[in-house]
Amino acid sequence: MTVALAVPDVLVARAQAGDEAALEALYRAFETPVYNLARRMLRNAEDAEDVLQETFLEVVKSIRDYRGEGYLWGWIRRIAATKALMRIRRDQIRATEPLDEEHGKTGMHVAANLDLERAFDHLTDTSRAVVWLHDVEGYTHEEIGELMGRSVSFSKSQLARAHARLRGLLGEGEGAQA
Amino acid sequence: MMHCTMDDLLALRAGEASVWARRHVEDCTACRAELDGVYQRVAQLKALPALRPPRDRWSIVRDAARVERAHRRRTWSVWSLAAAAALAGVLLVPRFGANGTLHAELSRAKDQSATLEDQLQDYDVDGRVVTGRTAARVAELEDQIAVIDGDLARWGAIKPQTQDAELVKLWQQRVDLMRRLVNVRVSSARYVGL
Repeated sequence: MTVALAVPDVLVARAQAGDEAALEALYRAFETPVYNLARRMLRNAEDAEDVLQETFLEVVKSIRDYRGEGYLWGWIRRIAATKALMRIRRDQIRATEPLDEEHGKTGMHVAANLDLERAFDHLTDTSRAVVWLHDVEGYTHEEIGELMGRSVSFSKSQLARAHARLRGLLGEGEGAQA
Repeated sequence: MMHCTMDDLLALRAGEASVWARRHVEDCTACRAELDGVYQRVAQLKALPALRPPRDRWSIVRDAARVERAHRRRTWSVWSLAAAAALAGVLLVPRFGANGTLHAELSRAKDQSATLEDQLQDYDVDGRVVTGRTAARVAELEDQIAVIDGDLARWGAIKPQTQDAELVKLWQQRVDLMRRLVNVRVSSARYVGL
């Protein structure tokens, strides 16, 4: 999805001064992109809602620290991505699932014509996050590694594995990939 | 025949592929098709419809914003009290003969500051809608006052028994900023007809 990046400076200034109407305007402007980002990274809709709420609680608390470097959306998106990744890590710790283990690997016999959205849902939480942040949001592997507290090569390998898996789930040609 | 791996294909997409992979994909139709597949998948991912939040969580965020704002005001008041305490520490010290003028100036600055604080309370209403320019100006002045209050508090902690021109200057700066803050608030109140 395309996000309108430009927010009037005056709106940001009002929000920084605690103007409630301005804060609500920012919430309305970014609630869908934030929720969409969280929902694509997370498997559970309620978790994505919680990330939306946590993100804007952080925005309200820290908006005075935003100094206008880069687009406001970039600043908010980073908060949202961090919150979503924290939730993924928390769930992985609870499930004691290694970061790079394929989700639902056993018994995975997905129909060859599975559409992309459903195939995307079959990736591990970590792979989903890496694919979405890199391929859709445009984060670099360096940025993803930093956000996840992992290496650049971890991000690259997750992306490669995710694409290979998507390719398989989508039943794309036998071709070159062995 | 050796083909490109997924790592090679993604590196090709990122413009970071090896010489071998770049040459190979030019000649190998299968690998070119795989590379096209990568491009198509990414394009399709980008084209997925935006998912919208099923429930409105603004009321929760708004309530938190109110708490945050109240907390900030309390913090600001604490700084003011700390500054006042620092001044009180100075004023309790017996006058130092030649510093009589400084003492008088400090007392005057303190009185002016307190009067302006009272005036500010009359105009500074939580949640009042102001223009963006006014809000930015208020935030800027409050920040500057908070910095001076911090300096005054530190001064009181480090040199509680002294009074000199620098301390007087800090208080006079505070009075000047408070006066400007009150002016902004008064103008804003007139603007909205209050």
